[in-house]
Amino acid sequence: MTLIEAKDLCKEYVNEEVKTPVLHDLNFKIEEGEFVAIMGPSGSGKSTLMHILSFLDKISCGKYLFKGKDVSEFNDDQLAQMRSKEVGFIFQAFNLLPRTTVLENVMLPLLYDGVSNNNIRIYKAKQALINVGLDHRLNYFTNQLSGGEKQRVAIARALVNDPSVIFADEPTGNLDSKSGLQVMKILQSLNEEGKTIILVTHERYTAEHAKRILRIKDGVIESDEKVVNRQFAQTSNELIK
Amino acid sequence: MNKTSLHLAIRALLAQKTRTILTILGVSIGIAVVIAIMAAGKGLNKMVMSQLEVYSPNTMTVEVKIPSTKKTSNENAMGQATGITITTLKERDLEDVQKHPNIDAAYGMVMGQAIVKYQNESKTSLLMGEGYNLQEVEKFELASGRLFTKDEEDSLAQVAVLGYTMKDLLFGEDDPVGKTIYIKGKPFRVVGVAVKRGAVFGMDMDKMVVLPTKTMQKRILGIDYMQQIVAKARNRDEIKQTVSELEEIIRENHDITDPNKDDFAVNTMEEAANMLSNVVDGLTFLLVALVCVSLLVGGVGIMNIMYVSVTERTFEIGLRKAIGAKNRDVLWQFLTEAVLLTLFGGFFGIILGAILALIIYLVAVSYNFVWVYAVPFSSIILAVGFSAVIGLIFGIYPAKKAANLNPIEALRKE
Repeated sequence: MTLIEAKDLCKEYVNEEVKTPVLHDLNFKIEEGEFVAIMGPSGSGKSTLMHILSFLDKISCGKYLFKGKDVSEFNDDQLAQMRSKEVGFIFQAFNLLPRTTVLENVMLPLLYDGVSNNNIRIYKAKQALINVGLDHRLNYFTNQLSGGEKQRVAIARALVNDPSVIFADEPTGNLDSKSGLQVMKILQSLNEEGKTIILVTHERYTAEHAKRILRIKDGVIESDEKVVNRQFAQTSNELIK
Repeated sequence: MNKTSLHLAIRALLAQKTRTILTILGVSIGIAVVIAIMAAGKGLNKMVMSQLEVYSPNTMTVEVKIPSTKKTSNENAMGQATGITITTLKERDLEDVQKHPNIDAAYGMVMGQAIVKYQNESKTSLLMGEGYNLQEVEKFELASGRLFTKDEEDSLAQVAVLGYTMKDLLFGEDDPVGKTIYIKGKPFRVVGVAVKRGAVFGMDMDKMVVLPTKTMQKRILGIDYMQQIVAKARNRDEIKQTVSELEEIIRENHDITDPNKDDFAVNTMEEAANMLSNVVDGLTFLLVALVCVSLLVGGVGIMNIMYVSVTERTFEIGLRKAIGAKNRDVLWQFLTEAVLLTLFGGFFGIILGAILALIIYLVAVSYNFVWVYAVPFSSIILAVGFSAVIGLIFGIYPAKKAANLNPIEALRKE
């Protein structure tokens, strides 16, 4: 089933009546269960594309279909609902709430998804943290964690709502190579379990952990091809339980 | 306000404890001031009204005044205070007032000060020369003994009625009736003790000694004039006419042809009541203005703190929106914070205001004012309701700003 479809999708920013085109007539599809890397140099438009695909931003022209539904004209609240139900985010800078515990950070998306029962929220958040091997850090504050642990909390937060797709924006960018590998391994395992993953990166090595690479340059798709020599993250300990 | 936004708001407020406490303090002080002022207003009202209770609405006074000043003007009061003495109001005027068909009773009044002695105790006391018929004109109750008689006044008898506190100061627990006190070295027999009266127009009525007017004029002051005639009209509807008739009579007695040169003024209790009512109206207006200012200040404090909070937490807002918070979730979270600040401020403000009002009450009572300790429920409703509305109004703008933030831009503010 096609999860994401871009039809002549374009985006331009207007600042004081000066138009800056960022994306030009993009056409592509992403099927459910795919692991796609969007790759490109700085300023290529890959982050803008990710923002649009993850409902953080709106398109300027063309169409964006999600699960066959045109979401181009969705208002702020509808987009917020899509983010809450369909999307999980993993950011380069982790983006966890300060002065808040690991468990509370992971519970947050459930709060906005309307899960009113606190016990259910706690149960689901714990399950997500068990899945990334952090059940021993539930009541730690986020500033007490290492970079790798922070990113695993972010992954648990992205998973807790069981979204259709996970967007990972340079998820290894702030990590040492070992922690980076752990994160890539989790993403690959999630994909093996059937989760759609969209990875945004400018590193070829990281991108090669995906199954398909969309290369973007100057706002157009330069190439769209399957990864021939795919990288598989190997770590000493098993993280996904 | 739902459970989620309440939960988030409480967490956010707890995360910045010092700032939260200071903001709440700002609101509390505003509310406390409102409550204390309104409670004090209630006390003041009680005090003013208790003073009028002494007189019936039919009471009239003929007071001396410096010619060509208004009867209640500053120049008149200042002139008299600095030693200008008007000596023209005399026994003949009192007799004429008493003869007026609409006058039920009237007496002449003089005031003075002297040292009053009983055995080894001596106290400086305000002396009031008042008529034997004092009780026919105004409310004057006795705790023990009696008032002096007409015969005693006419014969310049040296008799006295003590104020309640004066009795305590000189005699303690002993019964003073029948005992002799010395005023300006002259012996006076105590015939009665007045009940506790409190302060009337700033004068402590319980610390004075009441003598017959004529005795006081002749034996103490050595004068033949009086400062005031206090009278009670029979028919209230005819008071206006009575005033102008009395003015005519006294003017003639004083050989005055031009009313602008009057050395006296005839006042009615009704006029005094109107004047007081004007004062109370003015005070009320002032209170309302204070209410607005102090609560506005609290409101601006909330707005300020919410703005700082929104700016500081831009990244957090962006993150919340990225993971599914709707605009209204963010709006509610920040509005809830603002309203919680005002509600906590209101709660502590009520307690603080009640304490302030109690202090004011205790001070007033220590000065012997007839005061009442009451925190009007209306003041609580007004203060808390108004500040909650202010909190909402001043909280909405920063909350809207937060709600409408673009999540991508907000996330860049880390």
